[in-house]
Amino acid sequence: MRVHPNLSGWMRHLLLTVALNFRNPQAIVYGYLVPVFFLVAFGSVFRTDSPPLQAHMGQILTITILGGACFGFPTALVAERELGVWRRYRLLPIPIAWLVVSTMTARVAIVASAVMMQIAIAHAVYGTPVPARPGTAALAFLFVTAAFLGLGLLVAALADNVPAVQALGQCLFLPMIMIGGVGVPLAVLPVWAQGLAGFMPGRYAVEVLQPCFDAIEGVRDVEFRLAALAVIGLAAGIAGAKLFRWEAGRRIDRPARWWVAAAMASWGTVGAAAWQTGRLHTLPEAAAWMNITEAQIEQIDFGGLPGDHDIVTPLAPASLDPAQTGGLANRLDLWQAGKLDDAGQSIRNLVSIAAVADLCADPREPAIGRLVLREIEGRFEPFMARQALAWIILSPEDGRVLTKAPELELFRHPPERVVRERSVIYAKKYLGRLLGKISD
Amino acid sequence: MPEAVQPAVSVAGLCKRYGATAAVRGVSFDVGAGEIFGLVGPNGAGKTTTLECLLGLREPDGGVVRVNGVDLRKNAARAKLLVGAQLQAATLQDQITARQALDLFGSFYPQSFCAAELLARFDLEEKAGAPFVTLSGGQRQRLFLALALVNRPSVLVLDEPTAGLDPQARRTLRELIRAMRAEGRTILLSTHDLQEAEQLCDRVAIMDHGKIVALAPPAELAGRSGSPSRFIVRTTLAAGSAILDGLPEVIEAVHSETTWVFETRAPSRVLAELIRRLDEAGAELLEVDLRGPSLEDVLIELTARRGSESPGAAS
Repeated sequence: MRVHPNLSGWMRHLLLTVALNFRNPQAIVYGYLVPVFFLVAFGSVFRTDSPPLQAHMGQILTITILGGACFGFPTALVAERELGVWRRYRLLPIPIAWLVVSTMTARVAIVASAVMMQIAIAHAVYGTPVPARPGTAALAFLFVTAAFLGLGLLVAALADNVPAVQALGQCLFLPMIMIGGVGVPLAVLPVWAQGLAGFMPGRYAVEVLQPCFDAIEGVRDVEFRLAALAVIGLAAGIAGAKLFRWEAGRRIDRPARWWVAAAMASWGTVGAAAWQTGRLHTLPEAAAWMNITEAQIEQIDFGGLPGDHDIVTPLAPASLDPAQTGGLANRLDLWQAGKLDDAGQSIRNLVSIAAVADLCADPREPAIGRLVLREIEGRFEPFMARQALAWIILSPEDGRVLTKAPELELFRHPPERVVRERSVIYAKKYLGRLLGKISD
Repeated sequence: MPEAVQPAVSVAGLCKRYGATAAVRGVSFDVGAGEIFGLVGPNGAGKTTTLECLLGLREPDGGVVRVNGVDLRKNAARAKLLVGAQLQAATLQDQITARQALDLFGSFYPQSFCAAELLARFDLEEKAGAPFVTLSGGQRQRLFLALALVNRPSVLVLDEPTAGLDPQARRTLRELIRAMRAEGRTILLSTHDLQEAEQLCDRVAIMDHGKIVALAPPAELAGRSGSPSRFIVRTTLAAGSAILDGLPEVIEAVHSETTWVFETRAPSRVLAELIRRLDEAGAELLEVDLRGPSLEDVLIELTARRGSESPGAAS
């Protein structure tokens, strides 16, 4: 069967674009080595996560896709335009838009290979789980990549030369990395930055990709994020197509510049919609504790714990009368750091208070130990309490830890490292009791 | 009544503006099948814009361009099948090989030469797998010609095909162009090399300020020149001899040792008188080189005159 010449040419162009990418040392460095560097950097920072890197794969992959789509794609396209390759393509009996599409399709394949390489390395080196549903993950990847390629097309259309691509690309890349929830986790950003991130596509890309790696939550409730990416990607893609220049030196008509304004307005529209629907500041931290599985909890060893009457981690008996704690039970009940939206961090705060009292040799240390257990039992769902305590045990360096609590008359602040170590022991004592493996 | 022969390329009333500047102003010409047609003129005369309009790279503001009767505006895709082009300022990706480039561009056409055939024909077989960036200037130009031919076009448009090449490479390329014409292809080329135009082209159009100011075979154009002929004479006369001084109808004469250079509009009479005087002096005529007005002379005359008539009319 003879293939239509346009189709065979299109396919050949696509394959050649991929092949030429692999012959370009610069493309290999930026397309593969830099993503590996980012992976290792994240792996070093979050090495104590359990499982390592699982809670950050969305960020890591978003950086790779962003780099490939907003730097790699427009750089290659503009470099070819400067060489006059697209002038040559213009002579072909095929609409030039077809060749733009084949270039974009080739870029999807190139970025996909980098993403798969990262997932494989993360799995092999750090034991990071691979997506449980590869099909869903592939769709999420395609959606995010398509949206960013739309931005890349606009960058290619606007940039007069390769250095201009770098400048424009950085204007997109750096804000998303620094305050857009891509490089720096949204959870540790100040409130104003979290709000600003709601106007940027990077945040939605992370929120679409990350659930693919979450063991329990899975991919759900992503409609708004997909819509946000679609609006921003489509607006940029249409503007890029309208402003596309196949020839170096060709100027953009002044009226056509409104398309750039329209593309940028889509970011504002998405942010406004997020604000209107209360999504701008939603910050359920991409909590690692929620990924703790029952199997992991089951494997925790409760042997060798100090006794409840020892100097280390004392624990008052279950029969402790709250009335005899001098109002401590009431104050702990009202203590704000134990009532955060993030249940995992709340439990970690509570446990750290028990540890601080113990380390400071506070006379109330056994009582505080017991009252903290009662707070955990009384305030949180059992499965959440189990996951959060297991998280403290398995990832002692994760999350934030308190080293003092003046509201509870704990003024001294022992070193954070020691508080984390002591928290692990208390968490084991509490979890053992919740599981019935330690008797009171 | 016999049917009129359809020109391979027909350009009628072509106009193209860039903002306030008129680059091409009502250009019309026909190119017959199998003809080599040259466009010459100073920089900014509108040659490249004319060719780019013909290739569909520029949207004309007015006029009609037809290739083998196919209107470029109405049926651009079909016209593109009939034309092959070698462009100025259009190279290839650094890492693409000659074979890959020929395979790629050929794959878009229903009829094309296979890469191996073109590589052999343009003497690129040894470089078939070499990245484009490693090819010499001559090899690149041969590859561009091969790419222009890849779709078996009936019309070839070559924009300054030998620019920047060494003499050997220029000669090779000219031979290749003649060979393509010998296959019956029509060739439309622009060049700054007027000697090349004289050697290659059946007809030449001189463009200036966006218009064709003269169109004829090169020899005929040269004949229209008002420039004097020049002949160079070498004799056995001793240095410092005044025998050849004061020849009639000589506009300018310079000499060094035994060689004289004369400029005159009556070369026959001057030569007859020169031979008579040498004969009387018993001297021998060793060498005579007579050069009539050239295409360069006529181009300079026409474009300099128009330049002074309409300054800054075109880019």
